[in-house]
This record gives sequence, C-alpha cells and structure tokens, in this order.
Amino acid sequence: MTTTTDRPVQEASQTPPAPGGSPRLSDRGLAVAFISPALLLLLGMSVFPLLWALYLSFTDYSATRDVPANFIGLRNYTDILTSDQVRIRALTTLIYVVGAVTLQTVLGFAIAYLISRRTKGRGALTTLFLVPMMLSPVVVGLFWKFMLDAQFGVINSMLGSLGFGQVEWLTRQRTALFSLIVVDTWQWTPFIMLIALAGLTAVPNYLYEAASIDRASEWFRFRHITLPMVWPLLLIAVMFRAIEAFRLFDLVYILTSGGPGVSTETLSFHVYKVAFLGFNTGTASAYGILMVLVVIVLAQFYLRYLNKLKEG
Amino acid sequence: MRYAQRVRRAPGRPLRLATAAVVMAAALAACGGGDGDGGGGGGGTEAAGPKAPATIPELTDDPINLSFVWFEWPPAQALEDFANAEYTKERPNVTIEVNTVPNANWHDAMFTQFAARQTDFDIAILDSQHIGEAVTNGNILDITDFVNENIDVDAYDPYLLAAYGQYPQAETGQRDENASLYGLPLLGDTWTMIYRKDLIGDEPPETWDEMISTAQKCQDENPGVSGLAFHQANGSDAAAVTYNTVNGVYGGNLWDSEEKKIEGVINDEAGQKAMDVLVNQMKPLTAKGSGNWFIDETNAAVAQGKACIAFQWIAAAGGLLDPAQSTLGKTQDEILDKLGFATLPTQDSDVVPLGGMGMHISAYASEEDQAEALNFMKWFEQEDIQKKWAAAGGVPARTDAIQSPEFLEAGPFNQVYADSVARMRDMWNVPEYAKLIDIENTNVNAALNGAKDPEQALNDIAAEQQKVLDSAGGGGL
Repeated sequence: MTTTTDRPVQEASQTPPAPGGSPRLSDRGLAVAFISPALLLLLGMSVFPLLWALYLSFTDYSATRDVPANFIGLRNYTDILTSDQVRIRALTTLIYVVGAVTLQTVLGFAIAYLISRRTKGRGALTTLFLVPMMLSPVVVGLFWKFMLDAQFGVINSMLGSLGFGQVEWLTRQRTALFSLIVVDTWQWTPFIMLIALAGLTAVPNYLYEAASIDRASEWFRFRHITLPMVWPLLLIAVMFRAIEAFRLFDLVYILTSGGPGVSTETLSFHVYKVAFLGFNTGTASAYGILMVLVVIVLAQFYLRYLNKLKEG
Repeated sequence: MRYAQRVRRAPGRPLRLATAAVVMAAALAACGGGDGDGGGGGGGTEAAGPKAPATIPELTDDPINLSFVWFEWPPAQALEDFANAEYTKERPNVTIEVNTVPNANWHDAMFTQFAARQTDFDIAILDSQHIGEAVTNGNILDITDFVNENIDVDAYDPYLLAAYGQYPQAETGQRDENASLYGLPLLGDTWTMIYRKDLIGDEPPETWDEMISTAQKCQDENPGVSGLAFHQANGSDAAAVTYNTVNGVYGGNLWDSEEKKIEGVINDEAGQKAMDVLVNQMKPLTAKGSGNWFIDETNAAVAQGKACIAFQWIAAAGGLLDPAQSTLGKTQDEILDKLGFATLPTQDSDVVPLGGMGMHISAYASEEDQAEALNFMKWFEQEDIQKKWAAAGGVPARTDAIQSPEFLEAGPFNQVYADSVARMRDMWNVPEYAKLIDIENTNVNAALNGAKDPEQALNDIAAEQQKVLDSAGGGGL
C-alpha cells in the first residue's frame, strides 16, 4: 500500500521542470510558496493569539491598566477551577448543551427521516428547512425577543387566544433557559437534519429490499438498518452542535443578557464579562484556555468512541 | 526509501512543533508585552492621562472631523445636528460626527479602544462613573489647567461640574477645588416621575409611600393598566439605578467612600427597607414580563397608556410627547392633558439619581484633534451656546442656562431637572465601577424576577462589591 501511494510522488519529483519555469524553484520550494500565505494567515490569526492568550493566562495582566503584566503562575487557573461562580455557569451551560443538542438531534433526525421518505418536493422542503440556519444569530435573537415578549409578543398572544395565561418567557428563571434552548433549536435543527438526510440517502436500497422480502416490519427496518447506518454520521453532527452550543454567547447576549440575575449566563458570556467589564485579561485568558481544553478533551473521548463504533 | 525516512522522522515532527510553540511562547513572554507602552499613559499604578495645555494650541484650517462616541439615543442625534449647525459657524472646516453604539456596548466600545491605546474618537462621552477607570488608566486628558484658564467655573452648580469631570470623586453635593478635572458637562440628567393626570389627578404624589398607594389604586381601578413602570433590566446600569434611587429615598447609602466600605452600609436597615419596598411593594405593580425593561420599554408602556406612574431619565423622555409614537393623543397638547412630569417623591430622604454625561478628550487622539476638542469644549460651555443647546433639546449644566426660559420652556420636564439639581446623588466613581455595577445589576434583577430572595440579594451585593473594592480591581472573576 505504502509503495503505491509513494510511487507517483517519486515519479513526479523526477519529472524535469516545465520549460520556461524558474530553474531555481524546486518542487518543494513551489509547495512552500503555495502554502505559505495560508500558513502565515493561520499563524497570525490563530496560533499567535492562542499562544499569546496562553502566556497572558499565567499573568495578572489587564488590557486597560497601564501596568506591566506580572507572572502569577497557576493562580488564574486555580481561581477559576475553585470558583462557585464558574461552577454555576458550567452547570447552566451543561443544561443548555444537553437540552438543546438532544432536542435538535431528535427533531432534526425526525424531519430528515420524514423528508427522506418523500419523493416529490424533497429539494424544496430541504431548502425551506435550512432557512433558519442561514440567518445571523443576532437577527434570530432579536426577532425571537419580540416574539417572546410577555406583553406584546406573538407567542403570548397566540397562547391567550387559546385560553392560556401570559408566560414570562425571558424574565423567569425556569422559562428563560428553556426559551434559549427553543430558539437555538429553531435555528440549528436544520443542521442536524441536513447531515442526517445525507446519511439516510446513502443507505443502500438493497438492504430495504431484502428486508421487505423477509417481511420485516417498519420498526425493524428502522431499528436494524436505518439507525445503525446513520448513527455514526449523526454522532459527528451531535459533536459539532455540542461544541457550538458550549460556546453560546450571541443568543444569551440578545435575549436575556444572562438574566434573570445570572441564571442564563453561560461560560462564554461569563468570560466576556470577565474580559470586557472587569478587564481582567489574564483571568479571562485562563478561562478561555480552560474552555478550549474541555472541548478538546471531550472531543477526543468522543472521537475515540466513534472510532470504536466504526471498528465494531 | 524517502517515504520510509519520512515515516521514521514523523514522530519527531510534533515534538519539534511543540518545541517551536514553547520557544515562541517564551519569546513572547520575554518580549514582555502588556506593559502598555503605548502613548498617553503615565505609567505606574496611579497613572493619569497627559495634561492638556492651559491655552488652546493653534487650530488647523484644514478640513477636520471631530468625532464623539456615545450610545444610541435621541440626544446623540440632537448633539450632532446642533454642533454641525452652530459650531461650524465659528469653525467652518470642522465636521462633527457623533458615533453611537447600543447602550449595552457603550462602556466596552470605549474602553476596548482605550485598551488598544488607539481610539477612532476624539471625545469620549463618559458616564460620570466611568471617569475613575479612564483616569487611572491614563485614557483621558487632565484638563484642570485648561478649565482654570478658559471656563467660568462659578457659572455651574459645583456638584454638577465635579460629577462630570472631577477625580477623585466629589462628596455628594460638593466640589473639591484642589482635585483635578478630566471632563466638562455635556448633558445633565436625572429621573422624572411621569404620571397619568387623567387617571390619578393633577397633583403628583409627594411621598414614596403615597406614590405606591396611588399606583395601587390606579391599577385596581383601570384594568389593563399597570400601576408602575420602571427600569429593571440586568444590562447597563438599569436595575442598579432603580435600587439606588429607592435606597436614597429611604435614607440609605451605597457606600462609605472614605473608608471604602460597602458591606454593612448598603445592606443596613435603610438599605434592606428599600429592597423590600422595591421587590415586595413596587414590583407587584408592574406589568407581567417587565423584568427586562429599560428606557425604551418604559417609554413604550407610557406612550401606549399602559402605566399609571413611570420613572424615566429626562433626556430620554422627549419621545413621549411625539403623537406619532403615542396612543395618548393626536397632538402634543392632547398628550400633555394626560401626562404630568414631576420630581421624584421624597420619603426619609430627598435624593434623586444623577444621570447625564461629560465630554472627555481621548489621550490617543492626534494633537490637532485634541486642540480642536478643547476649542469645541470652550465654545460649548459658553452661556449663549448652552441656552441654544437647551432649546435644541439638550439638558445644560450651567446654572444660568438651567434657569433660562430657553431651557424651561423647551420641554415640560425641564422644570423637573431644574428643581432636582440640588437633590442629586451619584454612584461610585472608581476604577472598579464596571464590576460593581454588574454585581448590583444582576442581583437586583434576580430579586425583581424572583430568582433570589431580596434580603439575600442585597447581602450578596454588599459582600461581592466589598470583595472587589478590597482587591482594588486586580484579577479575579
């Protein structure tokens, strides 16, 4: 296997340069020339800021205070990891991630399954369902804020016409987090749907035909053919959504500002406050680094599970 | 062979990359960054911005853009229109630009630029409480000498002059003439009580308790109309100002500024009484779901006839008289037949919140722009210009302008401002302001929306704010 993949490279390197080309520019030089702009961009925009944040996370630096940064070791990390405030925000984030991603997965898969069974209008339906995903979260947040307004919102108006009382969607502890989950679900269910649909359409038809010959029930076909085939793809979609949901900021900022009190403050929103209200840049950097680490570690475990699933 | 070699070398690559990353991080650390060596800062922990000259440097005749940064609300547009109409008569080469951001981003928009030691504005319109943070970070010019040379300080109520420019903070109602000045008043402001004359009568309630019982009666007699409307949101300083106002009315204090003590002061008996009144007597009289209301929502409730009594900043009350935005009347007179504006009721004390903002020159603006900014401020603080500003919808700070017919006749609420000047009280004007206000906002908002017991919320405010003051703003969450 290795030799077959290597041979074309060998051959390519032995090919003489095209006439007219610079004799000094080797293949390797050309490759470097091509990738260096992207590499520089990556270094400048991602790697450097990450390393800079890593350095700041060990200092007491504040971006606004005109004093030098002092090295304080792991103090920022211990402050964050032992803070009750962080624990509360972590719990809020966990509830949000689990609630939103579960709801989106169930709904997204259900919609994809229903669409996949249609033969007519499948393309139009898929496009229609994708619209929320294409909107900016800030725009989505703003119009849902109006819709969920307890006094003038269309949701309460509809509930009123059905004989229900007014619900304080955004200003009560229980309903505020639920509202955030609903809005996020409205926007991102199409993402899961899209991936699930790709998985569903890739299931070979002959499996269903064989199941039909064996007079397998609908549930049996779903349980033993559809779900196992789509499951790995669905899990990847779940991972992407979980990572996205974990760093939720915009919807919280627009819809609840973290309220009532701090009951809908997610970790990202808290980092924002630490960084831009208190301007504790060092602490905020450590906070950010820890969040990245959490995502990386959890994603690694998740990917290992996926690999096992694939091997199994 | 080459492949094999590559495969053998492969394990070393991550190691080399990691080494490179560590070396790079070490190099960055060695570079030291973060010493804030941009222009403007004075260095040291007690940094202050550079001093503005006592006399205005020579101004340029080239076209120049003098830019302000403020938050989005009617006075911002009023200022831009007014300044472009009037200032250009004196300086035709100058264009005034008032850039605005949403209220919730106002502090961040200014201070993130200050943090970068580079601003796209020449004049920051700072809330009085932002001054401490800007001064200690060396972000704005010290204009003490300029003021002494060019501004008639006796024309102002001393506290108004101090509130929008002095640091360290002045005692309530006073000015320390030895303290430095970092800004001049742009827009004065305080709360006005807005009441429905057609529902509760022409005479406004005089005490806070009377106000609550009047609102209760009005709500009971008028289904669909709530007794009260006021700021409760947890963004900006909304819920905190509401609590601070009630705290002042019931004789409480926010802190002991000399001892830097909050614990045991804000949550003393008067403070607890104020929180109890706010959460258990006032909140039940508000509309359902009003727990995230701020300026716009309160105005909407009044304009749509949904509130008997409301509290609002005077500078934001102008829209209430616009028939296009109101269901209370088709003309301004019809609206004024139904709406009355009064000073806040008193109770155990007679303080009202100090609002408004001052003009502060960015330490990072070009010398040309700084000179123009000084000239603008000198021009703006003249008696006739202050009167014109009042007539254009602004709230002036000079006593002669406040008492002038131009101001008093410009709006039905302007008399309220004139009567309130002597009663004003500000919050903390310290570098830790942003943290203090966030603690108070979130806890008061939690109490108002049932997410926290009111007494516990006030005790948490006291404890958390004290912790911030004790740590002098350094680090932490």
